[in-house]
Amino acid sequence: MNTFLLQLRRHPLAILGLAILFFWILAAFLGPSVVPFSYTEMDMGYQMTAPGEGGHLLGTDDLGRDVFSRIIYGSRSILTVALMTSLFSSIAGILIGFTAGYFGGVVDTVFLRIMDILMAIPPLVLAMVVLGILGNSTILSLTIIVSIAYTPPTARVARGALLTCKNMEYVDAARIRGESHLYIMFVEILPNTIGPVIVEVTARFAYSIVMIASLGFLGVGLQPPTPDWGMMVIENKSIIRAAPWTVLYPSLAIASLVIAISLFSDFVGKVLIHEQ
Amino acid sequence: MVVTLVAMSFLIFFLVEIMPGDVAQTVLGQAATEEAVAALRDAMGLNDPLLVRYFRWFGGFVRGDLGESLYMRGVQINTIFWRKVGHSVVLAFTALLFYVPLSILFGVLAGVKAGKAADSIISFIGLATMALPEFVSGIILITIFSVSLDILPIASLIPIGQTLGQNLNILVLPALSITFVMFGYVSRMQRSSMIGVMNSDYVRAATLKGMPRLYVIFRHALKNALLPTITIIGMNMGWLFGGLIVVETLFGFPGLGSLTMSAIKTRDVPLIEACVLFITFVFVVSTFITDLMYAFLNPRIRFAGGDQ
Repeated sequence: MNTFLLQLRRHPLAILGLAILFFWILAAFLGPSVVPFSYTEMDMGYQMTAPGEGGHLLGTDDLGRDVFSRIIYGSRSILTVALMTSLFSSIAGILIGFTAGYFGGVVDTVFLRIMDILMAIPPLVLAMVVLGILGNSTILSLTIIVSIAYTPPTARVARGALLTCKNMEYVDAARIRGESHLYIMFVEILPNTIGPVIVEVTARFAYSIVMIASLGFLGVGLQPPTPDWGMMVIENKSIIRAAPWTVLYPSLAIASLVIAISLFSDFVGKVLIHEQ
Repeated sequence: MVVTLVAMSFLIFFLVEIMPGDVAQTVLGQAATEEAVAALRDAMGLNDPLLVRYFRWFGGFVRGDLGESLYMRGVQINTIFWRKVGHSVVLAFTALLFYVPLSILFGVLAGVKAGKAADSIISFIGLATMALPEFVSGIILITIFSVSLDILPIASLIPIGQTLGQNLNILVLPALSITFVMFGYVSRMQRSSMIGVMNSDYVRAATLKGMPRLYVIFRHALKNALLPTITIIGMNMGWLFGGLIVVETLFGFPGLGSLTMSAIKTRDVPLIEACVLFITFVFVVSTFITDLMYAFLNPRIRFAGGDQ
């Protein structure tokens, strides 16, 4: 942990990324109680107000809803879903990838075949089709579908990481000691492969944000009136000439969050891969 | 590859078919009588077992018959599908023309100047643009070029009666949005392979012989450093087609992506199946071709560059 902090000091961009990420986490927790307007409140007489007027920091949309408040509210759903999906797909990926890599043989062959097939559909297309047909996405259905779409690539990384350690002497030692397969996989091997796995989880976090924002943008994400960044962009796209702020600021919110996580995950990758 | 494709087609078919919602009911509307729905189900062959329907669909697909659209009754999917695919292909290649030279050039620059200020700036820009969803970079581009400067159209619509060829300016912003995303991937790959090659013995030998630096970089080093880049460009071709959905939706570009989107919105099952299978097909085939190309190019690398 100490070396981690020391490394962090040498990467100002990673610090910047962390700072932005903390800002959004804070916004998600405290934001809704401090924003000036509720996300559904329509301020009549202030439709499509430019930023700064009538107490609307970032202006209002065509219904008179405060863009700033909606962005702050919107940080909740996207962070929640992204965090859960990167967690779930990582856990599922590790379980599946480890099982396949550890037992090898037929199990592994079948696993690789299935993963090949699943990975042939771009995750966004898969999620979009399923959510689109199911309709009325909720936080739960969004989490489940995106997690499933992201499990195959994570499983592949986990399998690859396990294979590098599988034939190490400490694994043999554990086997000779008579430890169970589960013990060997998760107590002996997992801690030694944690580097690539953590890199994968942080990268997956950034991808999840992109995916959720894109799904919202395509209209198959969370349903109105829940404020969703991606949805705000497509909802207001038709008034971009008259009120560019309604589209630009949600876009910038997505951009800042995604870039922040990428900067951090890039740093994590550099540190953890170099250590090995 | 063929196995993957067939398995894929079954998966897609299965996925779309098990979804809730009665197709016949959707076609006839909520007011339809039960008898009418049952009759239509029968006429459409929806009462047959899943496997029978799958083989009928897949058989048609292999023969090039994509079936009939549900939403636009009586319209053969073939008549609209390929024109849209053509538009998407033009868009994809326009994007390719933008981002390939650009990312290779900057990737080489970053690789040669590794660790210097130029490298940090290029790498940061690459990391940032790569991370952004396509529609976010698209919105930023629209705000600059359409709203502020007003030199390019916001929506990529082709007026009725005209072709894409008469409206080439609508390609620019969608292609640039794709360039944003791809630039990061390709320039990163180019950078790291360039660093590897620049540290190799034969490049050092060429430099020590007193050859001009630019000559060494472009004639000796780049030749070998291009291989991983070509691979990543090829691998991303399939991904690009998936990414087109977002870009095309943002700009209203009349291609495969917006067709897929509208098919999903209207629950047009045969059209969804056709679109998704085609996107997957491009994805699988481009991965396959990339593998072949890699094998094809590899002996030359061994020949020219020594052991890698």
